[in-house]
Amino acid sequence: MKRSGFLVGAIGGLSVVSSLDNVFAAAFAQAPLPGLPGGNDRVLVVINFQGGNDGLNTVVPYGLADYYRFRPSLGIPAGDVLRLDDTVGLNPVLAPFKKMYDAGNVAIVQGVGYPDPDHSHFRSTEIWQTAAPRTYETTGWLGRYLDDAGLPKDNLFNAVALSNVLPEALVARTTDVPAVDALRGYGLRSDRNGTDREAFHEFARDTTVPFRSPYLNAVAEIEDHAQRGAEELPKLVAGYTPQATYPATPLGRSLALAAQIVGSKLGTRVLYVQHGSFDTHVTQKATQDRLLADFATAISAFYTDLAAHGNDRRVMTMTFSEFGRRVAENASRGTDHGEAAPVFLIGGGVKGGIYGSHPDLTRLNMGNLAFNTDFRSVYATVIERWLGRPSLAIVGGSFPTLPAIA
Amino acid sequence: MTEPATFRPAGTLDSATALAPYNGPWDRRHAAHLLRRAGFGGSPADVERIAALSPQAAVEGLVRFPDTRALAAGPDLEAPPIPPRGLYRGFAEGMAADPEVADQRKAFQMQRNASRRRNLIAMQTWWLERMIATPAPLQEKMTLFWHGHFTSSPEKGTTAQELFAQNRLFRQYALGNIRDLTLHVAQDPAMLRYLDNNVNVKAHPNENFARELMELFTLGIGNYTEQDIRESARAFTGWTFRHEDDGSGTFVDAHARHDDGTKTFLGRSGNFSGTDIISIIFTQPAASRFFATKLLAFFVYDDPEPQLVDQVAALLVKNNFELQPVMSVLLRSSVFFSERAYRALVKSPVEFVVGTHQMFSVPKVQLAELGTLRTMGQVLFYPPNVKGWDGGKAWINSQTVLTRENFANAAAQNPEMLQDAAWVARTLRTMDPKTIAGALTQTLLQGDVSPAAMAQLVAYLGGAGQAEMGQLSGENVDERVRGAAYLTMAMPAYQLC
Repeated sequence: MKRSGFLVGAIGGLSVVSSLDNVFAAAFAQAPLPGLPGGNDRVLVVINFQGGNDGLNTVVPYGLADYYRFRPSLGIPAGDVLRLDDTVGLNPVLAPFKKMYDAGNVAIVQGVGYPDPDHSHFRSTEIWQTAAPRTYETTGWLGRYLDDAGLPKDNLFNAVALSNVLPEALVARTTDVPAVDALRGYGLRSDRNGTDREAFHEFARDTTVPFRSPYLNAVAEIEDHAQRGAEELPKLVAGYTPQATYPATPLGRSLALAAQIVGSKLGTRVLYVQHGSFDTHVTQKATQDRLLADFATAISAFYTDLAAHGNDRRVMTMTFSEFGRRVAENASRGTDHGEAAPVFLIGGGVKGGIYGSHPDLTRLNMGNLAFNTDFRSVYATVIERWLGRPSLAIVGGSFPTLPAIA
Repeated sequence: MTEPATFRPAGTLDSATALAPYNGPWDRRHAAHLLRRAGFGGSPADVERIAALSPQAAVEGLVRFPDTRALAAGPDLEAPPIPPRGLYRGFAEGMAADPEVADQRKAFQMQRNASRRRNLIAMQTWWLERMIATPAPLQEKMTLFWHGHFTSSPEKGTTAQELFAQNRLFRQYALGNIRDLTLHVAQDPAMLRYLDNNVNVKAHPNENFARELMELFTLGIGNYTEQDIRESARAFTGWTFRHEDDGSGTFVDAHARHDDGTKTFLGRSGNFSGTDIISIIFTQPAASRFFATKLLAFFVYDDPEPQLVDQVAALLVKNNFELQPVMSVLLRSSVFFSERAYRALVKSPVEFVVGTHQMFSVPKVQLAELGTLRTMGQVLFYPPNVKGWDGGKAWINSQTVLTRENFANAAAQNPEMLQDAAWVARTLRTMDPKTIAGALTQTLLQGDVSPAAMAQLVAYLGGAGQAEMGQLSGENVDERVRGAAYLTMAMPAYQLC
């Protein structure tokens, strides 16, 4: 009997252990993962479709004749569309996602936007991230949720951004959110034997210095968080084994890590994932089809993995893009920056179906789809009905919620 | 994480002496403070040189820029690629292109984007290397200040040439007249495009520039009305620019598109032009207070007291908005050298990176460092929005701090470091942990280190839990000292300005 093999097997949740170890392995397998407080609470995953995804070729209004008039070369033939009802259907590359819809696990909110929309990637992204179309805010909407939710202050993983830059949505006043692109490469580089790591801990916390600075405590505290987070996260998630095959794409890797963090029960409430770029001004079809197919495969693997670990009902995923695209295709088989677009809510806790009607193609707003649901209504739905907090201060106003959560 | 309501330093402002010339003790600690604020920190030799001068001479040497003609005048920029003849035939009329033509357009778009990216990299590298090498650090610091104030970015298709011209404008007016600079900015192609004044015409006024001019550039919210925005937008109608083949732009005052009617702005009426609007703005008390607040928060400390703001505002008015004499007073002032102002700011990513290069005499910036700056939250020529970088606490989160520490580690591991930074090599030869720890903390942190941390650093160098220093080979000593330099830069003081 190899003792090391036993330990690895048990911690890794693997069943490949020698017969003598089976009793112990079974006992380990039934014991709950160590977990942190809130480890079984609801989780929100946000996927940002960066660059402006064309909503019209995602949820296709094949039943509206004007669609084909506006999209002579880019229009998806009615026969190819994965029909959802008599008016709309999904882009055929979304087949795995259609299965999730058919199982009642996808809510599609049609025509999401906001008044006087901005057409710049930067500003429009910032508006979605801060939930503030008219002002410049220093915190994001998810950051405000995290500050408000009364989460344990000593948990370093109340939220995790799966990116190498902290998205503005997660900028908070009193919650520090780590941004982890991938476990490999995350953390401090330091000398080979690690002795400087120990010294680092002490220095980072050392505030008994011969000067006063209003920033000293904040800097010391964040240095300490950064250091401990980087050391602890890889260890805390090491015992998780994925039960699905993810696409070998950045999105696939991000969602695999998201499932690993959820499954390791760290008390994480919000995860943020990026996907793109959807900025399809020229020859849109190849780029958008590739990105949507990747999304469909990855999200399907994600929920398969979550379900295998019993986490699918406590994880809801929301997609968004900074804007949709112009209704009429341009002369280069692409589309330019537009306005309203659909938002997806995904997961076992969602009440599947289509919310709101497709924006009217005969009443465009300077060539763009007029919105019929304010994006802050979707946020309010997520905050109130999924995460169970009042949304007024978080989304900066009173917005009606949608009955899209079971 | 807890956050105080304000990052104004503790203690009380002495209003009576705040702007009086500082006449307290003068040493390397003060010299380093001055160089961090009026520059990017400088090399240890720069600190020695400044410490040997009087405070007055030190500040005069900074505000009267030395000759910078020895520096590279600008980056090598590619002219924007010209599309092959006929590629966009029918595009304006909306005629659908054949698939092959669409593919060619895609290829051209990628070529244009790649060219734009190369230009942006060239500009960022050039500017960072200029900041590192310049004998006039305050000139570059002010250029950075104006870049974060009068923001423009490539976001709306602005060319590298246009952005570089704006950068030159900021440098030319670094400590010049703020009113004149504001007028030049209002006629600057990168700004005209960024805030849509190129489409602000009599028939369809666009208020974007007029609004931000008052809200974010000169007065601040609450000091004008929506009506003032509408009226002043009319005054700026017709201010646009012409594209040149080399990618640059030339200001054009298109009279045919200018609204010649009477405008009523901030209580005055007349057939105002954009120039008149800017003159009127600078007669407002709010304008001097606005710039005073911004300068104090950038150079002295956050959330400055209203009495201090009023004093600096009065100084701006007295000097007719000429910045050089104002900065001369501010940088020599008692409040600037007070303990309350000392390390009271957070280093921006650019200050952090450029300062580290200067410290170790590494003149070249590598491509990877541009990505590092992005991860730290500051991309030159790409401010996040029209408000510029928030700065202060916004620079610091788990992600940016990890990136800063890893950058410091890479700097400490850089082979050039020990060769080119004479102070490190000199120290290394002593082989004495106390001497080395003293030199590192004095040079990198001006001794702003606690006794406990100092003791740990000595223990680390001496080999706590490992081989003692005396038993190490030269190669291993090198490694130990690099580790100690990194640890010193990991102390909180190194994050503070």
